[in-house]
Amino acid sequence: MNKGVKKTSRLAVEIAGIRFKNPVLTASGTFGYGSEYAPYTDLGRLGGIVVKGLSLEPRAGNPGPRTVETPSGMLNAIGLQNVGVESFIKEKMPFLRRLKTNVIANIFGETVEDYKEVARRLDGVAGLTALEINISCPNVKKGGIAFGVVPTEAHRVVSAVKSSVGLPVITKLSPNVTDIRVMVKAVEEAGTDAVSLINTITGMAVDVEKRRALLATKTGGLSGPAIRPIAVRMVWEAAQVATRPIIGIGGIMTAKDALEFIIAGASAVQIGTANFVDPDSAVKAVDGIEEYLKRHRTSVKDLIGSLKA
Amino acid sequence: MEEKPKKILYNRQASAHYYRMGISWATPTIAPGQFVMVRVTDGLDPLLRRPFGIYNILGPKGKSRGTGIELLYKVVGKGTRILSTRKPGDDIDVIGPLGDGFPYPSGFRKVIMVAGGMGLVPLYLMAKELHGATLLFGARAREETVFIKDFRKFMRNVKVATEDGSYGRKGLVTELLEEEISSGSVIYACGPIGMLKQASAIARRADVKCFVSLERSMACGIGVCLGCAVKSRPHKGSGSGVYRMVCSDGPVFDSADIDWDSFNL
Repeated sequence: MNKGVKKTSRLAVEIAGIRFKNPVLTASGTFGYGSEYAPYTDLGRLGGIVVKGLSLEPRAGNPGPRTVETPSGMLNAIGLQNVGVESFIKEKMPFLRRLKTNVIANIFGETVEDYKEVARRLDGVAGLTALEINISCPNVKKGGIAFGVVPTEAHRVVSAVKSSVGLPVITKLSPNVTDIRVMVKAVEEAGTDAVSLINTITGMAVDVEKRRALLATKTGGLSGPAIRPIAVRMVWEAAQVATRPIIGIGGIMTAKDALEFIIAGASAVQIGTANFVDPDSAVKAVDGIEEYLKRHRTSVKDLIGSLKA
Repeated sequence: MEEKPKKILYNRQASAHYYRMGISWATPTIAPGQFVMVRVTDGLDPLLRRPFGIYNILGPKGKSRGTGIELLYKVVGKGTRILSTRKPGDDIDVIGPLGDGFPYPSGFRKVIMVAGGMGLVPLYLMAKELHGATLLFGARAREETVFIKDFRKFMRNVKVATEDGSYGRKGLVTELLEEEISSGSVIYACGPIGMLKQASAIARRADVKCFVSLERSMACGIGVCLGCAVKSRPHKGSGSGVYRMVCSDGPVFDSADIDWDSFNL
């Protein structure tokens, strides 16, 4: 039994007042509402599940083609298709709240009021551990420029959500900015309890025979191992200024990839595109991290930001 | 989660660009028209799994659970090129069976299958169950007709059209469909979107039920990535159609439910 306790504590981390039994979460948009992956992996072994982004009303999403594979990665332009916050609470939460893992709701809106309202409806829903704010969504009142690329706008969204809910708030940052440190400071000032980064990097691919963009929306978000070095760099930069925990995201396929982020300064990680490739990726990453911790006689807590000079 | 690894039984070149791959696997029940997601390599490029229609179930005849499956594929890009180099005895990572298959026809006077190119694949299991069906097959040229002999073994009504006239009739498979269609028929079709759009239009004019199996690029195959969206036709009372996922809502759809004008051909 002692061994069991020790094993748990080695992997456990605390972020925004929440205890995670291990530092591996699944990223929003790559793991549905959890139940889809139940036949393929042991959901109870995950540190947490971040569900598909939720808006006030259901959204139909973009026309196809919505995805295209690129070298060691993929572009997507799903258009934030989702069931809407009310259906999520009624239809998806009953399954999720039974799982022995943290459930985090990713939210977005087109106005600050949208964000506030989605957050309010989720606050107090049984089984929900935290909110993750997706600030990469276009701000309709500001001509469609994403909240996540203007520090003052990001600040507005985060403080509005934070003042409306009791749930811990994680802000998911866009990498499509000049200096990630400015964004980290802005959302921390607004009261975020943690940051997660990076969201996808804007990209584009062209069919040269047809001279057409391969995505119907022409541009989309690049994810997968192709973006990992960029993500590690940004997590490391963020860690230089952050006073709150960082969750690292970007092309993690294996435990070794996850460890890069943790050593660079992340307290936990999210696995995204890898779920499509191997639905068991996140659980395998947990096992691999545990093996590493034993071999190095250390814990996740001691490993965070332990990059040597 | 661990289960017994699936292994490649054979990976044979059938002609220049075409292969047959057998995979040993104690399968669950497989419905005609279902597909699998195959990881062609452990490497990172190509990264994503590839969807393949299940061609045949290996094992005792007439059983929907098998001791393996057979896939047919054409080498068209990096993924299928790597697949063609895989060796018998190798483990292969396969998820499935996925999606809904073809609905079983009942009360129809005539079953017409329409296939374009590799669109033959998901029709084979259905064809085996329906001996009296007619198969109309279209291809660009003779070299693409290599698998038609499998169907001829048990089907009497097989008609082929090639665009260059090198095998069967010179022309398009949809021209054969115009000739074969009659009231009370049901159509099962799989092939390029342009062909399916034509077949759907022909079926609508003849007031005939038509089921199509669609192919779209997809990342997950299980309804999560939402990448393989196709637009459904607007229904009465609702302004616009909704998106349906080829992997989890299909791959088989009633052709009348698809907004064929939404495809950028």
